[in-house]
Amino acid sequence: MLDYSCVDNESIFRRYDIESENTNLPANIIARMLPESMLLKEVAASVVHLRFKSVGPAVMRALQMRLSAEDVINDGLVKGMEIVSYLYSHGLYYLPEVMMAAKTMEIGIAIAEKQMPGKRCTKGIVVMHSAEGDPHDIGKNIAAVMLRSAGYTIVDLGKDVPVEDVVKTVKRIGPVMVTGTALMTTTMSAFPKAAEKLHEAGVDIPYMVAGGAVNREFAESFDGGIYSRKALQTPPLVEKARAGYDWRRIRKEWDEITREVS
Amino acid sequence: MNRFTRMAYSSPEDMVFGKAKKPLSYGLGMKVGAGSVVPEVNYAPRPGAEDSPEKLRKEYVDYITRDVISRAINMGFPSLQLETEWISLMGTKLNMSADIVTSQKECVEGYHTMYGINLAVRHTIPDLRLFEQHLRRRVNRNDYPSLLMGSAEVACENGADILSIESIGGKEVTDYAITHGDITAYLFGAGILGALDVENLWSELSNICKKNGTIPGGDTNCASSNMAMFMAGGFLDNDVQKTFSAIARCISAARTLCAIEAGATGPGKDCGYENIVVKAITGIPIAQEGKNCQCAHCDLMGNLMAQCCDLWSNESVAYHPEFGGTSVQCWTGQIGYECSLMNTAIASKKDKLLRDLYMISDRGRSPESFILAYDNAWAIGKAIVEAGDSHYLRAKAAALTGARLLMEGYNDKRLGLTEKQLSTLNRIVRDLESLPDEEDLFMEESIRRYAEDVPSFTPGNYDL
Repeated sequence: MLDYSCVDNESIFRRYDIESENTNLPANIIARMLPESMLLKEVAASVVHLRFKSVGPAVMRALQMRLSAEDVINDGLVKGMEIVSYLYSHGLYYLPEVMMAAKTMEIGIAIAEKQMPGKRCTKGIVVMHSAEGDPHDIGKNIAAVMLRSAGYTIVDLGKDVPVEDVVKTVKRIGPVMVTGTALMTTTMSAFPKAAEKLHEAGVDIPYMVAGGAVNREFAESFDGGIYSRKALQTPPLVEKARAGYDWRRIRKEWDEITREVS
Repeated sequence: MNRFTRMAYSSPEDMVFGKAKKPLSYGLGMKVGAGSVVPEVNYAPRPGAEDSPEKLRKEYVDYITRDVISRAINMGFPSLQLETEWISLMGTKLNMSADIVTSQKECVEGYHTMYGINLAVRHTIPDLRLFEQHLRRRVNRNDYPSLLMGSAEVACENGADILSIESIGGKEVTDYAITHGDITAYLFGAGILGALDVENLWSELSNICKKNGTIPGGDTNCASSNMAMFMAGGFLDNDVQKTFSAIARCISAARTLCAIEAGATGPGKDCGYENIVVKAITGIPIAQEGKNCQCAHCDLMGNLMAQCCDLWSNESVAYHPEFGGTSVQCWTGQIGYECSLMNTAIASKKDKLLRDLYMISDRGRSPESFILAYDNAWAIGKAIVEAGDSHYLRAKAAALTGARLLMEGYNDKRLGLTEKQLSTLNRIVRDLESLPDEEDLFMEESIRRYAEDVPSFTPGNYDL
């Protein structure tokens, strides 16, 4: 092998990941963002610190002190997840931490929900699927975790989903948004077909599409289509749909909506 | 199953691009691993091309195939391999696929007869199997496992020179592993479940190839380890730690090797970045992708991947117009010229110098490029063959060796790591070292744990 001891890597490449690593201590940010109430702080901290085992007792203590289940969920568990999302978007947490935090939050929600008289009201329903013929669904699954964490109910149709099933489900459920992912250029053409059938049925909700094969130009080439470049962009886009933006307005304001998570 | 217990190359220094211990001849004058590097172009039809069988046939044959071969002839390339990666629809509409395979073969033969250019076509069939159903073929069923074997038969019977696949076995668990940063799950998913599935698939696929005179190219762990690599991404990405994807790659080598042990002969497929380890063990020729596949994705080892390739690929490009012609023509030019450079190096006996320049330029760019540098890849291969017959011990040895190499590189200041990358590496080592030595114990615990944590994992899919 060629002797390369004289080769200075810095003349060949720069390790921007090392140079720009965010070495801020997450602890300082977490302390600043946690709720003030001791009980809710304990609940949120369980999520932020990925403590599977302590989230249940923390939720129970808060409920026993007469905090409502809804407050424990929204101001404790979901708040904790908001902090996790912040840490993720600032390069302090990575995907595994987000997944573990989401799991911790869901354990807490399941306990709190048992104390509720009826069903918990979420922000809305999102129908998700991977395109017909496409067996790849990891991106969809990550986006689903992020949407659940942001307070939405997910109806996950899975992968390799026929257009007819997407249309039937959306018509039956009436979600805030429908999302589709595709890794292949030849499977993504299922999206405009489904969008057209939805349009014929009088459904005019945004159809968010994403995945390796999909780009913004394609997403905006058919009525209803909007683009998401990565999972982290999905919650703010759905949030706008919930706020009443139609797909035309989301498209128009897409850059602004996704700026924080671009 | 015959296991490799010795290295094909007694020293990493003997490995170089364009030469393999077990060269292959096939197709229309094609020789691979026999002293030159051959460009292998890959393409994807435009969205909507699948609207009708005739439209798709025209796209693959009349447009793409004609475009790439005519460009190769225009630029004076002596050899060109085409890779037709079947779109998913072709895996379910086998009559349509037969027509495309036959028609493409006729087209290729026409150019060979007219110009004498050496040509071959690799067909990569889609793996549409769903974990929620079942992975193995059952009698009298028209389901995805049967369609997979049907696809192989159609490809081989109608003129495929090489058959390949990017199989998905173990992916349900490796998806979980990657998103949760769980190296034990990755070891179980790719190192054991994936290995079992690859063995099972290739025992059958090799027979289909043999019956039809097709070269059984082999498998890759694209579905899992490239997923980890893409999610680890570049320097601005923060989904998966790069030390995790590097160790995932080491484990994948043990999985991809199983196809060769079950009868495949290579050339390994481009997206198997672990192929360098497989070449070190088996001596088969390999396709690789790197700097000239930026049309498909960005990675941190564009030069390094050329170090020991026998075919050089663009991974895949969607068919569309560019200033310089159609996209497939432009990327044929890219890979063809790179091969010309490598072949010039071989002819002038400077091949090992160029190999080292490729390798050194990326060696410290990322943890994954570091462990894929040919000397490190060879060491990982050696750990695999010395681990014996057990899938578990082979995959674990590959992972631990990769981790040790990364740690040595970091300590010697030859490889930089962020604090997160280093802490992930430390955790990986801790997790791997805490695993039992006995495969049975590991299997028992993993089946219990991941059947609980991964809803789509069904032990029966792997006859467990």
